[in-house]
Amino acid sequence: MKVSLEQLKRYVEINVEPLELCDRMVMAGFEVEEAINTADTMDRVVVGKILKITPHENSDHLVICQLDVGEGEPVQIVTGANNVFEGAFVPAALHNSHLPNGMNIKSGKLRGVISNGMLCSGEELKITEEEYEGASVNGILILKGEPKPGTDMREVLGLNDWIIDFKITANRPDCQSVLGIAREIGVVLGTKFVPPVPTYKTIKGDINEKISVEVKNFELCPRYIGRYVKNIKLAPSPDWMKRSLIASGMRPINNIVDITNFVMLETGQPLHAFDYRDIKGGKIIVRTAQNGEKMTTLDGKEHTLNDSMLVIADANEPSCMAGIMGGLNSEIKEDTSELFLESAKFKRDSVRRTARALGIRTESSARYERGTDIMNTKYASDRALQLIDELGAGEIYEGVIDCNNGLPEERNLSTSVQKINGLLGLEISGQKMCDILNSLHIPTTLEGDTLNSKIPSFRDDIEFMADIAEEVMRIYGYDHIKGSPMNAQVLRGTITPERALDNKIKSVLCADGMYEITTYSFISNHAIDVLGLPEEDKRNQIIYIRNPLGDEYSAMRTQLTTSMLTVLATNINRKIPSARLFEVSKRFMPKALPLTEQPDELKTLSLGLYGEGEDFFTLKGEVEQVLETCGVTAKYVRAEEPYLHPGRSAKAMVGEKVVAVFGELHPETAEKFGIDTRVYVAEVYLDMLLNTEKPLVIYQPLPKFPAVNRDLALLCDRQMPVGDLIEIITKAAGKSLENVALFDIYEGAQIPDGKKSVAFNITLRSKEATLTDEQVESIMNKVISKLSAAGAELRR
Amino acid sequence: MKQKLEEIKVQAKAALEAADSTQAVDEIRVKFLGKKGELTAILKQMGSLSPEERPVMGQLANEVRGEIEEAIAVSLKEMKAKAQTARLEKEAVDISISGKRKENGSLHPINSALEDLIDIFRSMGFDVVDGPEVETEYYNFEALNVPADHPARDMQDTFYLTDSMLLRTQTSATQIRTMESRKPPIRMIAPGRVYRSDDVDATHSPVFHQVEGLVVDKGITMCDLKGTLEQMAREIYGKDTKVKFRPSFFPFTEPSVEVDVSCSECGGKGCRVCKGSGWIEILGAGMVHPRVLAGCGIDPEVYSGFAFGIGLDRLTTTRHKISDIRLLFENDMRFLKQF
Repeated sequence: MKVSLEQLKRYVEINVEPLELCDRMVMAGFEVEEAINTADTMDRVVVGKILKITPHENSDHLVICQLDVGEGEPVQIVTGANNVFEGAFVPAALHNSHLPNGMNIKSGKLRGVISNGMLCSGEELKITEEEYEGASVNGILILKGEPKPGTDMREVLGLNDWIIDFKITANRPDCQSVLGIAREIGVVLGTKFVPPVPTYKTIKGDINEKISVEVKNFELCPRYIGRYVKNIKLAPSPDWMKRSLIASGMRPINNIVDITNFVMLETGQPLHAFDYRDIKGGKIIVRTAQNGEKMTTLDGKEHTLNDSMLVIADANEPSCMAGIMGGLNSEIKEDTSELFLESAKFKRDSVRRTARALGIRTESSARYERGTDIMNTKYASDRALQLIDELGAGEIYEGVIDCNNGLPEERNLSTSVQKINGLLGLEISGQKMCDILNSLHIPTTLEGDTLNSKIPSFRDDIEFMADIAEEVMRIYGYDHIKGSPMNAQVLRGTITPERALDNKIKSVLCADGMYEITTYSFISNHAIDVLGLPEEDKRNQIIYIRNPLGDEYSAMRTQLTTSMLTVLATNINRKIPSARLFEVSKRFMPKALPLTEQPDELKTLSLGLYGEGEDFFTLKGEVEQVLETCGVTAKYVRAEEPYLHPGRSAKAMVGEKVVAVFGELHPETAEKFGIDTRVYVAEVYLDMLLNTEKPLVIYQPLPKFPAVNRDLALLCDRQMPVGDLIEIITKAAGKSLENVALFDIYEGAQIPDGKKSVAFNITLRSKEATLTDEQVESIMNKVISKLSAAGAELRR
Repeated sequence: MKQKLEEIKVQAKAALEAADSTQAVDEIRVKFLGKKGELTAILKQMGSLSPEERPVMGQLANEVRGEIEEAIAVSLKEMKAKAQTARLEKEAVDISISGKRKENGSLHPINSALEDLIDIFRSMGFDVVDGPEVETEYYNFEALNVPADHPARDMQDTFYLTDSMLLRTQTSATQIRTMESRKPPIRMIAPGRVYRSDDVDATHSPVFHQVEGLVVDKGITMCDLKGTLEQMAREIYGKDTKVKFRPSFFPFTEPSVEVDVSCSECGGKGCRVCKGSGWIEILGAGMVHPRVLAGCGIDPEVYSGFAFGIGLDRLTTTRHKISDIRLLFENDMRFLKQF
């Protein structure tokens, strides 16, 4: 809510500097978005009287002006405008001046002729026709009257005001008005708040002969006040009213429209003026629209209405969307001679819903949506009539139409001083609280420990003791709150097992040189297609956002890999040679589509690697590391993920459950992401690994007897998995086997085609005694014969 | 004989003096003290001495032996020391070369800030709880005292999945879930992702992170709220950090405050970081609204509580002076490696 200081000062005494006022209001709960001194916008721009104009010898469109700028000696300024004449009074920007459009003017030569400044147009001074007549003329602004040369232009234009933009919180609709803010300023500064008292002349006449009002829905329109004014004389508004409107961001139009807008800004109560002759049948009917009923609003747009929308209709058709915007058919026109003035209370929720549905937001709807005060409708109507009377804009009939279904009774609220102090942790006296509440225009008396308050109708937000506590506190001052340690039994802060597991995994990964990333939970609606998953794959069951910021962010992800690939691609495109990344986040898996209940949010670890030295096995190493941290031993089988390299991808199985899928990215998928290097990605389904915590370590006695090491070089089919060979060795060697380690795989010279050489180092040890040569021989023979049976022959 | 012994002693010492290796010393030991050595040869002549002379000479011979042995030991020790010094000198390395190590990774700066907050709050007895990101209107709005069509809904632009399901706009929803499932005393924080349909720019992201805090117990006051937040602010921003409350409005707290901390860059004098105010807004807080307590089955006449919501992304960017929030979600390795 933008308010001019000049206007505020009409209702409340302001005895501090504008910036201090801002600070004090912030500490009372009114954040200041911006405070602008209108005088700061220009400097060294003065009134100049053109004494003489001579042609410019090097230009046929420039002329040389000699001006009286009140400095004794005339000042020479060159201009290109063709509307200047000798004897004209014009704004002259002198050497070293500053204009509202950001320009700084200095002396200089224009085509060889000295110019000690610039003559200004209305546009250059950022003033409009509404603010100063002639400001929109194409050329230099010719000033009215005969202002004294040298007078500061700010004085001429009345630029010595402050415009303060207060942020009004949703609980204070009463402060969506200049008077509401002025009232708070009075409380904060402890100065007197004097709202206008509306009085006006009326003429005899029966309003009921002119018009009747029928409210068909008191639920949506609890009060409707109507007045009739005749002999309307449309004219421009006075400057003070125009300035207030402009300061609050509204455009002056004519005295009647301006009065309704001015009073809305002043009181917070929207008003609407109808051209009386357009009200068919002399009837105003407040009703909900019929489904499919059409109406064209002031902005020329046609809307199709439904029966949840409240309209103000005449005998034939809707002429106003209640509280939102008037109809084109009944607006004030240049020849309007009679008007009907509406001041009504419409239900907050209904205006909000209708405005949203129509896609309209006006100053009026914004106020109704926040909530207006039913008791303020009469005041605002009277205030508007007062201004009509004062400006001689019309003659007011004495009668009032006031339709309502009973006005609300005064609310009383009793609160305990002790309980308020108990909530705040302070010892404020009951009398102090009572004084603060009274200063806030909440009439309150103190009886022992009890504060008895009458809640004014404009403070609907006050319902509980806590609300009273807040009112007391924001005026008493939050600086009185002193931090104290909490007084309670000793509590132990715990974390969930999920978080504990995440922490362990993350520390293991960080120790392995992996960096954590954070990506959005939503992905593009096409992202999943890139993976080429079969139709029935669960990851294709996607939850879409109804109102996304764009296609790019429209789907809740069912996998983390595409997000990871986007990050890898970004790094690769930026020529970063290598990356080791991980993310722990959620997959959103619907239980059913369309969504009927909250989806499963499954914790998932995503890994992504590229760069020198990275391969399938460095990735598998990280996966193994994570699974070991989770305390599970997995079996690895080939994966069938279409986005992974078919020969270099695997899934980790625990029993029947897939706990991880990983491998090198398929070159086709890589291409789709603009990735031109080998990258390795994994997803580990942490939700599957939750209750598998690594068991506590039980100490094993250190070996008492020496170990025996034997190397074994085998020749087998190229396809034979090393894992199978190890399994055979492990089984055959039995309990004396301590370790079997792969140390070489070789294909090529001396190895027949389709075969490979695999070499292991085998460690044998007995817990009972030193193994004899015979025992070792016997174990090794058994191992060799079992291997041979499986097609792996000892290389001789 | 006596003279002979003296001579041997002198010769041995001279020989040792000249020796330049442990091997030479060994040769000297053999020459003088060995079975066929000079001293042994003299001792073999002891038989020719008179019984009176024998003990005297014997003692003298032992003394000479002792002295030579000691001289040998000293010589060996010196030589060893010398050799060692020479070796160590030769082995000297250029210590200005970096150490050999495996590169460590790191947590994302948002999560490392979160870990710090978790440590601080756990030490004050707060449990860490989690809640769903896809929420119902009830938990995200209604239970938090924001009924349908209430103007407070304009405070946040919401992503909807269905008529009644949405992406949570605030971690406050977890307050309700916690109060429904636990009895006071409650002390919890609920970190997590939240979503609002804000267009992406240097200070806005449609996905961001909050840390919700909630305390419910008998006799909880606004001073307790301030004390708790002061403790947190000092640990995050430095021990001289001050905390200021400014009145504000949130539907689920009453009274409600915005909480500012003194600017860690300028110490409160006013600078570019705090836009000249000396303060940085870090969170919203307040006393739990009586209607919210009652809605969760907690009697507001008996219990009171406070709640706060920390904007984790903003805390991270102000803490590390990151100028653009988008950097947090871009994940450039050169950015990540700085943390």
